[in-house]
Amino acid sequence: MHTCDLDISINRLSKIEGHADLDVKIRDGKVEDVQLRVMENQRFYTQAVKGKPALSVPQLVSRICGTCSVAHMTGCIEAVEKTLDITPSEQTMIMRKLMMYSLMIRDHALHLYFFVMPDIFGVDSALEIADLSEEELREKGAPAGLTGKDIVHEALHVKEAGNNLSNLIAGRSVHAPFEAVGGFTREVDNSKIPETVEELKKIKQSIINLAEVFYNCHWELKRKTNFVALTTPDFSFLEGVICSSTGACIKEENYWDHLHSIVLPYSQAKGFEFEGQEYMVGSLARLNLNKDHLHKDTKESMAKYLEIFPSDNIYHNNLAQAIEIMHSIDHSVELLENSKFKKEEIVKPHKQSGEGVGVIEAPRGTLYYWLGIEDGKVRYANLVIPTAQNLVNMREDVREAVKLVCNDGVKAEEKWEKKIKNEVEKIIRAYDPCMSCASHFLKVNWT
Amino acid sequence: MSKKKVGIFTFTCDEGCSIYLIEIFNKKLLGWLEKMDLEYFLSMKDKRDSDRFDIALVEGAITTERDLEEIKKVRERSKILIGMGNCAITGSPTCQRNFFNQDQLDEIKKDLEKFKFLPKCISIKEAVGLDDEIVGCPIDEKKFIEVFEKYL
Repeated sequence: MHTCDLDISINRLSKIEGHADLDVKIRDGKVEDVQLRVMENQRFYTQAVKGKPALSVPQLVSRICGTCSVAHMTGCIEAVEKTLDITPSEQTMIMRKLMMYSLMIRDHALHLYFFVMPDIFGVDSALEIADLSEEELREKGAPAGLTGKDIVHEALHVKEAGNNLSNLIAGRSVHAPFEAVGGFTREVDNSKIPETVEELKKIKQSIINLAEVFYNCHWELKRKTNFVALTTPDFSFLEGVICSSTGACIKEENYWDHLHSIVLPYSQAKGFEFEGQEYMVGSLARLNLNKDHLHKDTKESMAKYLEIFPSDNIYHNNLAQAIEIMHSIDHSVELLENSKFKKEEIVKPHKQSGEGVGVIEAPRGTLYYWLGIEDGKVRYANLVIPTAQNLVNMREDVREAVKLVCNDGVKAEEKWEKKIKNEVEKIIRAYDPCMSCASHFLKVNWT
Repeated sequence: MSKKKVGIFTFTCDEGCSIYLIEIFNKKLLGWLEKMDLEYFLSMKDKRDSDRFDIALVEGAITTERDLEEIKKVRERSKILIGMGNCAITGSPTCQRNFFNQDQLDEIKKDLEKFKFLPKCISIKEAVGLDDEIVGCPIDEKKFIEVFEKYL
């Protein structure tokens, strides 16, 4: 058997958010070094917000990431509101939940259909799935009766339903113009609710088809790790308690201490830890910690898939994302069918200075915004983003995956390199990392 | 008539325009694919074998030496270069460092040197010129369809 002795470089990983390069060094079958380089150029948002009016900053930080702009905007709005003592109305909270749901539908769908499915079906791009025969699709886990063209159509329809929900609530899915500190600046057009509800209901079968593909996919990489998520009583990604799979929970009034004593001290060292352990955030963490709070309709239609959780197979992150899309549809439908939106005034700040923390669950995991405001202007802003928190865990999983391939002992070296590249890209895509965001927090140098 | 070769290239930005373009694709892509081949778009495919493009859609601003080298290559290889979004056309908001005060500049100085940033961040329009423009942050949907379909 050959020993695994290789240097692997991947220049510009494709089908992830943003730019990253990866180098893996293997000697005598052992992974000596794994380096993921975030190739995004910095745009210096944490410096740029200094001195800007706090009320305008959420629209600016939305531009940190085109993919999850709604999460940045909403997390920052919450931090401004907590700092300036603003309590948003019940209607505003419902609208924010709907915005987060529209984000989860679009963003998870983009990731699952466009980034991961090509790996499952052995093609380069989602569009090529249309050319596959039904037999080829069945062999790789697609449900019976579904053609390649159907899958591509379903991908586009699911994303469009999420996009239209964003349009209804806040005017656009990317850099939503009407979401603001203290409320929304445009009234919802109630007459458009029925068509949005109908469109959401129509894509439910597509999500079952989607979940089925990931349920039938037998990729496995298990490694004991800790999971952390903001657990919310209605699985709405907005307000709740930060919990970990070790059983530790942090209440909202203690976020400040938690951020300063636990999260930040590790960020400049080898990576984030929670109670001394590396951890993972994101869909898998949320499902592992909070599946009991999913919508009742989701629990019913996804019962078979939910049995898998809690799971420590990283690839189940993708199945978890599919389940979260279904929850986002089901809860949105309920909220929309039971709401008649009315015109409301924007809630004004009660003070102009202070410090505060906003915490939400972005698609890729827990997002922290920590703000200092003086006389209505931002004095400093710090953010802790999901991809940065996942980096240590991702590195260890890459290491594990390479080790497994080396242990299997592929014969020809050329195939070896291809196999390792393939496995490593699969692992990284399973995490759904976002490099646009990662460039805004931490210099990554894995050694 | 042969299909147009289209490439989508990202420079320094949040990729909001290409993400929004994928939303525009929800309704338009299947029709457009009858007239074009998507030859380069790392968000959707890994293969990158084409070196000539009939239409290149570019987003982002030019902030490092590497950005500048790459946009020049894209310009040379493309018949029509279309700027997507405000960063490509005006530099804003990506080029906000151009307006930093001394305190803000001091904070980023080391990074600017280490990663070979240009002295000033510029738009793609300023760097190599654009044949057409789609404004917005992100791009306006109607304007995108109108401009893009002119060249298909």
